[in-house]
This record gives sequence, C-alpha cells and structure tokens, in this order.
Amino acid sequence: MTTDEKFFAWLDDELSESESAAMERKVAADPTLARLADEHRVLKARLNRAFDPIADAPLPQRLQAALRVPEAEVVDFGAAQRRRTARFSWSVPQWSAIAATLAVGILVGTMVPQRSTSPVAIEGGRVYAAAALDQALTSELASAPGNSDVRIGITFRDQSGAICRSFAQPAASGLACRDPKGWRVRGLFAAPEGQGGAYRMAAGMDPNLAALVDLTMAGEPFDAAQEKAAKARGWR
Amino acid sequence: MPSSGSFESELAALLPRLRRFAHALSRNGADADDLTQATAERALRNRTQWQPGTQLDSWLYRIMRNLWIDTVRARGRRDKVEAPAELAERLGEDSAIEASIDLKRMMDAMQRLPDEQREVVALILVEGFGYRETAELLNLPIGTVSSRLVRGRTALLAMVGES
Repeated sequence: MTTDEKFFAWLDDELSESESAAMERKVAADPTLARLADEHRVLKARLNRAFDPIADAPLPQRLQAALRVPEAEVVDFGAAQRRRTARFSWSVPQWSAIAATLAVGILVGTMVPQRSTSPVAIEGGRVYAAAALDQALTSELASAPGNSDVRIGITFRDQSGAICRSFAQPAASGLACRDPKGWRVRGLFAAPEGQGGAYRMAAGMDPNLAALVDLTMAGEPFDAAQEKAAKARGWR
Repeated sequence: MPSSGSFESELAALLPRLRRFAHALSRNGADADDLTQATAERALRNRTQWQPGTQLDSWLYRIMRNLWIDTVRARGRRDKVEAPAELAERLGEDSAIEASIDLKRMMDAMQRLPDEQREVVALILVEGFGYRETAELLNLPIGTVSSRLVRGRTALLAMVGES
C-alpha cells in the first residue's frame, strides 16, 4: 500500500487498530495531512447528503411497476417500505425536495422571542430548549408520549457522542442535542402554512428535519430500551 | 415456491439503495431509473440464479454494475428515441429529485471521473461498501480498488472541494 492509500484506508476505517493508531498520530502531527483529512471527510459528507435522499425517496411509479411481473405473487411493497423506514419512527415523505431547502431551513437564533413560555431561550448566543419543550425532551419517551403538545421522535447519538432527540410541536419541529447547559437546539423548522395541528403530526417528519437528523446521527437510533436507559442516566 | 414472495419483497426493499447507486453512476436521473428498472427486471428474470443464503444485495449490485458497463459501451452508437408522453412523465418524476442542487453538482462531478474510478467511488463512498466487499463485487484485487479510490476521490475533491 502506498502512503496515500494508507492515509485514505485510515480515513475509511479500513486499517488494523495498531496501523490506525500510528496513522492517527501521524495526521495529528501534520497540519497539511490533518487539513486533507478534513477536506475528504467533508467531501464524503457532501456525497452522502447529495445521494442519500434517493435511497429514502419513494420509488417512481415505473419502478414499482417493474416489480410487478405478471406471473409473480403480489409484492408486499408496503412491508418492504415499512422495513426500510423503520429507523425513523415517523414516515418520511417528500424526501426528494430536501437538499435544496436544507440550507435555509435552520433557524437563526436572534429571531426567537424571550418569554417564559417560549419553547426556546438564548444563552450565550446559542438556542436552548425551554419551558414545555425542555421538560418534554428531558422527561418524555417516544414509546410513552406525555400530555404536552410536544411529541418526541427519535433519539440517537451524534458524532461527538452527545445525545440528540427530534421533536415535533403543532407549529414547528426540530432537533436538540444535550450539552452541559441543557438541550441545545440544532435546528427548528416551521410547519408549512396551513399544515398545523393534527394534520401535520400525521404527515410525518419534516423533510428538512429528516435531512438534519441524517447528517447528525452517528450509528443507529435508540430503541425503546436504550432510550429509557439514556433517560435514567440523565441523557449523558 | 415458498420463498418467491420474500425474494420480491427483499428486492423491493433493496431497490431504493440500487437506485442511489444508479444515480452515482449515471449521467442523469432518467438514465439512472432506466438502469434501476433494467436491474429489477433482470433480477426477477434470473431469480433462480441467486443462491439463497448468499448476499442478495451484492448479487443485485453486480447485476446493475454489469448492465451499466454494457450501457457505457453501447453509448454513442445510438441515441435513444423516446415517445414524447413517456419523456414528459419521466421529466416530471425526475424534476423533484434533480431539483437538489447538491445532487446535480455531485452527479456532474462523478460523470467526469473515468468509469473505473467512478464505480469504486460510488460503491465505497456513496454505498458504504468496504474495500474487500468492493474488490469481490468488481472481481478486482483489493490493491486496485484502493488505488482507484485514491485517484477518484482526489479528482472529485479537486472538482467540488473549493469550499
């Protein structure tokens, strides 16, 4: 393997533990290599952001039709789709429109009002969950929804290991991740006009939120037992 | 045939991933969906050639890759003529997905890679296969996969990575 190949194999997690540790030290000591590693991580993330929505989008009609050959048995396509989307507890419609709007969907904190009942508050220039939202994120389980109008979606860890939870309210949905000060809001997306209330809740995860979740999540979402255990540990 | 139902539902479940792979290989969404459709049809036709217990996804990726190679070879010999109605329907379907600026840009950049680098970049960086799986899938030595990947991703970064 050339030096180049070894560097990239390290980046792709293809080296043995000892080789990987050696490369890690080498990269840490070399700012040029470290920058190259970052550039290639960003490239990979951009590829995934560009192409992954296709794998999450519904199949076009003609591809669904291609699966229905005359002599075949009835295709249980619904079951296949349910399996495919099982990692989200909400179904994810309209994936195809995501990426174009992702960049504008993330809320800028300066526009958030400061009221005691406001679901968010600003601390040190960062947006944190407050009031009912904070309470729901801290105490509610997706498997056992509470009485508030906040609905918890999925819980998972981000690349830094912090626990993140998606949530939905009638007017907006978003993603918050735990840090020492509380639930820091990573993204908040207004419900489309005319889609408030129960209708929106039933319609599934906002595609922008789904994209943000996909970009943020490391590994798999928590199952009910992991979610419960994480709550017991205070979301550490 | 007790297992035929599950073959079809597994194929249906894998098709979205195959469609993503097709987009990473193809010039545009219409070509990608042609490739996906051809792959599904060939898989259904040749279903008895798949050995239950072996990886269905590898088998399907291999079918798609071989069909793509055939298309690449045939390209330029003929221009496809499409009925206007079919074309309109297809453009309607594609417009939503191709409205993604990121996707358009990345597909264009991937197109500028040599075919043998593009398939390696698509399998490893887009589809998430390991080096060894990719080598087996493409029937290549792992060193060849590794060196093509280095060249492919380096070229790709030079094309899109100014930010």
